[in-house]
Amino acid sequence: MPTITIDGKNYQAEEQENLLSVCLTAGINLPYFCWHPAMGSVGACRQCAVIEYKNTDDKHGRLVMSCMTQVREGGIYSVDATRARQFRGGIIENLMTNHPHDCPVCEEGGECHLQDMTEMSGHTMRRFRGRKRTHRNQYLGPFINHEMNRCIACYRCTRFYRDYAGGTDLQPLARNNQVYFGRHEDGLLENGFSGNLVEVCPTGVFTDKTFSKHFVRKWDLQSAPSVCEHCAVGCNTAPGARAPGNGKDPILRRVVNLYNRDINGYFLCDRGRFGYDYVNSEKRIKNVLVACEKNIISSTAAPGERIHGEIHPEPAVKHLARHLAEVQQGRRRLIGIGSPRSSLENNFALRELVGKNNFFSGLSARDLQLLQLVDRTQRDARIHCPTTPEIESADAILILGEDIDNTAPRVALAVRQAARNRQKRQAQQLQIPLWQDASVRQLRVEASPIFFIGLEKPRLADITSATLLGTPEQTALFADSIAQLILGDDTGARKLAPDCRAQVEQVANTLRQAENPLIISGCGSRSSDIIHCAGKIAATLADTSSSPCSLYLACPEVNSLGLTQFFPAGEGDLEQLAHTLEIHSGTPCTLIVLENDLYRRADRHTVERIFNSADAVILIDTLLNNTARHADLIFPAAATAESQGTYINSQGTAQRFYAVCEGASYIQESWRWLVDAANFCKQKSPQLATIAAWRHSMDLSEALAANFHQFEVLEKIGPDENYRLNGLKIARQSHRYSGRTALGAKAQVAELPPHPDPDAPMTFSMEGIQSPAMTPLSAHIWSPGWNSNQSIIKFQQEINGHRLGVRGSVPIRRQPQPLPEWQLAASVPAKTSKTLTAVPLYRLFGSGELSVGAAAIASVTDIPFAQISREDAQRLDVTAGDIGQLQLGGESHTVEIRISDAQPPGTVGVPSGLPGLETLAALLPAPAQLERRSDREPGETP
Amino acid sequence: MPDQTLTKPLTKNICPQHKPPDIERYQDNGGYSGWRKALGMAPEDIVELVQKSGLRGRGGAGFNTGLKWSFVPRGKGSPAVKYLVCNADEMEPGTFKDRLLMEQNPHLLIEGMAIAAYAIEARTAYIFIRGEYHLAAVRLEQAINEARQAGLIGPDILNSGYSLEIYLHRSAGNYICGEETALLNALEGRRAIPRAKPPFPQVSGLWGKPTVVNNVETLCNIPHLIELGSEWYKSLGRCQDAGSKLFGVSGKVNKPGTWELPMGTPIREIIEEHAGGMRDGLKLKGFLPGGGSTDFLGPTDLDLPMDYDAIAKAGSRMGTGTIIVLDDHTCPVGLVLNLSQFFARESCGWCTPCRDGLPWVVEILTRIENGSGTPEDLDLLQEQVARMGPGNTFCALAPGAAEPLQSALRLFEEDFIDHIRKGRCPYR
Ligand SMILES: Cc1cc2nc3c(=O)[nH]c(=O)nc-3n(C[C@H](O)[C@H](O)[C@H](O)COP(=O)(O)O)c2cc1C
Ligand code: SF4
Ligand code: SF4
Ligand code: SF4
Ligand code: FES
Repeated sequence: MPTITIDGKNYQAEEQENLLSVCLTAGINLPYFCWHPAMGSVGACRQCAVIEYKNTDDKHGRLVMSCMTQVREGGIYSVDATRARQFRGGIIENLMTNHPHDCPVCEEGGECHLQDMTEMSGHTMRRFRGRKRTHRNQYLGPFINHEMNRCIACYRCTRFYRDYAGGTDLQPLARNNQVYFGRHEDGLLENGFSGNLVEVCPTGVFTDKTFSKHFVRKWDLQSAPSVCEHCAVGCNTAPGARAPGNGKDPILRRVVNLYNRDINGYFLCDRGRFGYDYVNSEKRIKNVLVACEKNIISSTAAPGERIHGEIHPEPAVKHLARHLAEVQQGRRRLIGIGSPRSSLENNFALRELVGKNNFFSGLSARDLQLLQLVDRTQRDARIHCPTTPEIESADAILILGEDIDNTAPRVALAVRQAARNRQKRQAQQLQIPLWQDASVRQLRVEASPIFFIGLEKPRLADITSATLLGTPEQTALFADSIAQLILGDDTGARKLAPDCRAQVEQVANTLRQAENPLIISGCGSRSSDIIHCAGKIAATLADTSSSPCSLYLACPEVNSLGLTQFFPAGEGDLEQLAHTLEIHSGTPCTLIVLENDLYRRADRHTVERIFNSADAVILIDTLLNNTARHADLIFPAAATAESQGTYINSQGTAQRFYAVCEGASYIQESWRWLVDAANFCKQKSPQLATIAAWRHSMDLSEALAANFHQFEVLEKIGPDENYRLNGLKIARQSHRYSGRTALGAKAQVAELPPHPDPDAPMTFSMEGIQSPAMTPLSAHIWSPGWNSNQSIIKFQQEINGHRLGVRGSVPIRRQPQPLPEWQLAASVPAKTSKTLTAVPLYRLFGSGELSVGAAAIASVTDIPFAQISREDAQRLDVTAGDIGQLQLGGESHTVEIRISDAQPPGTVGVPSGLPGLETLAALLPAPAQLERRSDREPGETP
Repeated sequence: MPDQTLTKPLTKNICPQHKPPDIERYQDNGGYSGWRKALGMAPEDIVELVQKSGLRGRGGAGFNTGLKWSFVPRGKGSPAVKYLVCNADEMEPGTFKDRLLMEQNPHLLIEGMAIAAYAIEARTAYIFIRGEYHLAAVRLEQAINEARQAGLIGPDILNSGYSLEIYLHRSAGNYICGEETALLNALEGRRAIPRAKPPFPQVSGLWGKPTVVNNVETLCNIPHLIELGSEWYKSLGRCQDAGSKLFGVSGKVNKPGTWELPMGTPIREIIEEHAGGMRDGLKLKGFLPGGGSTDFLGPTDLDLPMDYDAIAKAGSRMGTGTIIVLDDHTCPVGLVLNLSQFFARESCGWCTPCRDGLPWVVEILTRIENGSGTPEDLDLLQEQVARMGPGNTFCALAPGAAEPLQSALRLFEEDFIDHIRKGRCPYR
C-alpha cells in the first residue's frame, strides 16, 4: 500500500489506484465530472486537477489530472495549491460559458453535481460576454427529458449508455463546443437502463420525466430505504414522496438508486425506476370497497363480476371480525391465499390468522414446484448464490432458458460487464490500470465467454460468444448434454445435430476450464428440467473444482423465494386448494386473498372453482385487477413504498424496506387489516390474541425469526422501532424540507403533528438524524457540499466498497441439503399440424404486474401479440401484422401476429403478463392454436 | 553503387514539369534498393540504424524515430499483430510538404513504409490521408498497386517470407485526425478524439495492438537512410540535427513554396533566398516557424538555424518546418483570430479548456478586432492561454492553438492595445 502525501498529510492509498479515488476515499473534497466510480476515468473534463511534486525539493510541481494519475509510493500532491484551485475554478468558468444558468427552473437544481462542483471550485463571477451556444432538444420517450443547453460535455451519458449498458441509440454527435448528446432522431431511448442517465448526468440535461409531472425539489422529498418490487433482483431504492398541500395525502413522486454494492451498485433498470407510478394509478385501491347488492339493470360487467362501492372501513373490518368469530365457533372455514409480491410479514400474518393448513401460496402447482426446486438447489453446499460484483467477475457464463434482460434486468447489466474480463486481463498484462476506462476499452480482445441457450434472442446477444435458440425442451436437452460432457460423457451430445453438438462441446469445455464459472437460469421458461440441469451443471463443476460454483436462479417476483419458505414440498398450491375446498363444500368458507390476482396464477377453471366454493371473497390489494371483480370486500393495501417489511430476493438475501410515506386515504399495510379484525373480535383464541397484540412491523419480523430458522436473520436486519441515535429517530425529511406548516394549512393553520411511525426508528418529519453517515437508514443521500446522489461516495468504506454502517440485507440461512440424483426424462413433443406449443416471452415493460400500472410504462407497453416462426406463418397462411385469434387453455384472445426467425418452429411465443393476455401467463407452456382473423383490432376481447 | 554524395534524397525524383515516376522509372533511378537491402537485414538492426542516424519525426514533435520504433515489442512472445500507420493528414495551417511528396514521388513513401513495417514486424500498414488530398490519394493507390504487382509488397515479398499489405484510408476531414491517437480512433471507425497516453500506441495502438504512427516525410527519409547509412544521413544536416527536410514558406513573400534543404538551414536563407524575400514595400514583422500551432518569432530570430533545439531555445517549435510570414501591413490580431477560429472549429470537443476556451478566445479576439475590446480582455486571453498550457488539456491541440496567441500577446502587445484604445483595427 503506497503512502502518499496530500497537502502535507500522509495517507495510505490502495495499490494502483488513481489519485482522485484516493482523495475521495480520504474524504478530501475534490471536484470532478467525467470520472464515475463504476465507469472509471477518461480525463475529459479536467476538473479534478491537482499539483504533483517530483520530490520534496520540487516547490513548483506540475498540474495533473488526479483521475488520470496513478498514485505512487512517496508521491507528493497538493489539492489546495493556489494554482490547482485557480485552474479548477477556471474549468468551471469555461464550462459555464455555455451553461444557461437556469437553476431556478431546472429540475436538477438542488441535487445538481454541477452546482455542487461550482460551489466547491470557488468560481463565482461571470466574465464571458459572448452568446451562448444553444441546441434543439429531442423527444426521448415518456421517461426522460432532454435539455441539451445545460450540457457540460462530460461524456458520462454516452459512456454509460453505450459502453456500460450496451445501448446504441445515444451518441455524442458533432464536435467542438457544438458537441451534442442525443439520438440520430427523436424517439424512445431503446436501452432498458436509460433511466440511469438521470443520475449519471451531472447536470439537468437528462431528468426524470415521470417526476416532472409532480415535481418538487430533492430537499422537499421525504425518503426511506426501500427495495424495488418489480422483480426478484431486489435492487435498493430511495423513493421520494411529498404531500401536494391543501391537506392532501402524500404522493410518491420518484425513485432513485440507493447504493447496495452486492445488488444494484449505482444502477437500476427502467422498470424499477419508473414503475413506482402504479402507486398513483387510477386503478389504485385507496378505500374499502364492497360489492353492491343493488339491482343492476344494465352494466358492462361480465356475469359473475361485482359492482363495488366505497364504504367506511369500520363496518368492513367488523364484517371480517364476524367471520373470524364464526371461524372460532367452528361455523366457518377460513382460507388464506398469500402472495409472492407481498412481504414476509404480510404473508406470515395471514398464515397465522388462518392457520398453516389453511394457508395457500397463491401459486399454481407448477410455479410453486419451480420455486421449491430453486430453493432446494440453492441449499446444496456446492452451489453459491453470487453477488453482482461476483457476477461481473465471472470468467465464463452460461445462461440457460432465462431471459434475464427482461426478468432480472440488473443481473443482465452485470453480465454485460463480465464480457470484458478478458479485456481487463489483457489490460493488466499491459500494465494499464483498470480505471483508465478508455484505454482498457480500446483493447481488441475476444469477449469473455458468455453463452445463451434459450427461447428468444437476448439483447445481450451482442456480447454472447454463442447463442443457441430452442424450445424449453431443447434447452434442457442441450443443458443436460453439457452436464454430461463436463463429466466426460458424450452420450447426450452425440444425439444432437452436428452444429449444436459443436457448440455444446465448446460450452462444456469453456466452463470446465474456467476458474470462476457462473450459471444463470431461473423460472422464466417454467421448466423444472432446465432448473434441474442448471443445478446439475453447477454441482458437477463444483465437484470437479472442489469449490462451490456460482449459480444465479432468477425467481419471478420480489418475494417469490420468501413465500416459498412457508410451504413444504408438494403443499400449498392453488389446484390443491380448489380440491380441498370442493371436498369441504358443506361449510361456509371465507377466502382472504392477499395482494394477489389469482387469474394470473392458475387457469380460469381452477380459479373459478375456488371462488365458487367460497361464500365470501376478501381481497387486500393495491390495484384493481381481475380478482377484485369477484371480491365481496376489498381492503386497500399499502404498496412497498408505503410500508415496512422484508423481501427475500433471488440470491436468498433478506432485505428490509421502510415506509417512505403513509398511504393515501385508508391505505395501510395488509397485515394491519387482519390485526384490526382480530381486535374487533370480542372473544379471542390465544392465536387471535397474539395477532391482535401485534403493533409494529417488527413484531411480525421478530415472530418470523422465532418461528422459522431460515428467518432468524430478520431480527438482525436493521434496528427495531426502539432504536435511537443520540436519543433521536431518523428523519425521513431533509433538514431543508420546506413548507411543513403551509402544506396542511388549508385543513388547519397550526402545524399538524407528523404522522407517527410505530414501526421504524424513523420519523415522517424533519426532526431527527439527518446524516447518512450515521446510519444507512437515512436514504437522503446528502453530505455538506454534495447535494446530488454522487455523494454516495461519502458513505462507502472505500470507493465502490460497502456502504458504511449496519447492512439492511442479509442472506437467509437455509438448512444445507444435497441435490438428489436426477435424470432428464426423454420427452417426445407432440406435434399435430394445427397445434402449436405456446411458450412464454418476457418484456421489461409489460411482464411486470405492477409496473404496467405506471402511466409512462403503460404508454410503451406492447399490444397483445403472438410470435411464430416463418415456417409456421407460411403453414398457417398468415403474415406479420395480421390479426389472429389465439386459442389457449380454453381461452381465446385476439392478438397481432408477429414473425421471428428465431422463434422455434412449432411454438408460439406469448408475452407473459402483458396486459390483455395476463390470464395466459399461468398456462404457459401449453398447446395453442393460432389463426388469422380480419374483423378485429388487437386487444379487443372477443 | 549508391551515391554517397546525394543531398536531396526526398526530392531527387521530383521535377515539377514531369509526372511522378512510375515504378519503372522509380526503380531505374535506384528506387526500392533500400527496401531490397532492408529485407536482408534483421529488423532490430534497422531499428538501431535509424535510431543512430538521429532522424527525428517530421510530424511536429521531433521525436527520435528509431527510438519510437524500439518501444514496439518485437521477437518471440510479442503480439502477432502489429500495425504501421502513415500520418498523411497534413491539416496544420500553412503546411503543404507531405502533399508534395505524395503527389510527386509516391513510391518513396511506399518504400519507406515497407522498411518501417518490416523493422517493427508489422504485416499491415495504413496510410491515413487528408480527405482533400485527392490527387495524392489517386497517385498513392496507383503506386501501391504497382508495388504489389511488382511483388515489392503483398504476400511473401521477394521470397523473403515477409508479407505486407498497405491500405489507403481517406479521412472524413478533421484537424484532430492528425493527432496520432485520434487518427487511430478515426481509423477504427470511432469518434476522432485522442486517447490517453500511456498506453502509447507502440504498446496499445490500432485495435489495441502495437502500432507506430509516422509522418509521411519521416517515412520518406527511411529508404536512402538504409541504403546510404547513418553517417551519410547525419552529414546531410548543417547542424546538430541530421538529414534534410522540406521547408516551406507562406505569407506575403515573393515566391511562396517548399524546398528540400539541409537541417539547420538558417531561417533568413530560407525566406530571403528560397522564398525570394518579402514582397515590395512590406517588412517582415514576425513569423511562425513551424506551422499554425507554433509561437511567433520576430525579425531578430531570423538568423536562427531551422533546427529543433535551436528553435525551441528561442521559445518556439520547429513543428512541421513550414514558415508562415507576417508582414507589417497585416493585422496580427486578425491573423491570430483567423488561426483561433480554425482551432476552435477543429477542437474535438473532448476536454474543457480547449472546447470551451477556444470559442471564448475567438469571442474576445473578434471583439478586439471589431473595436469593442477592453483592457481586461488581455488578461482574460492570458488566463485562457494558461488554462490551455501543456498537460492541462487532453491533447496537444489546445497548447498548440495557444502558442501563436501567447506569443502574439507578447510580441505584438502594442497592436492589441492599439485596437482597444482606438476602438477599431488600425490596419483597416
Ligand atoms: C492537433 C494535432 C494535429 C496533428 N496533425 C498532424 C498531421 O497532420 N500530420 C502529422 O504527421 N502529424 C500530426 N500531428 C503529430 C502526430 O500526433 C504525431 O506526433 C506524428 O504523426 C508522429 O509522427 P512522426 O514521429 O513521424 O513525426 C499532429 C498533432 C496534433 C496534436
Ligand atoms: S448530457 Fe449530461 S452526462 Fe451527457 S455530456 Fe452533457 S452533462 Fe455530461
Ligand atoms: S432489476 Fe429488478 S429489482 Fe432491479 S430495478 Fe429492475 S425491476 Fe427493480
Ligand atoms: S485539447 Fe482536448 S478538446 Fe482539444 S482537441 Fe485535444 S482532446 Fe480535443
Ligand atoms: S474527473 Fe478528472 S478529468 Fe474529469
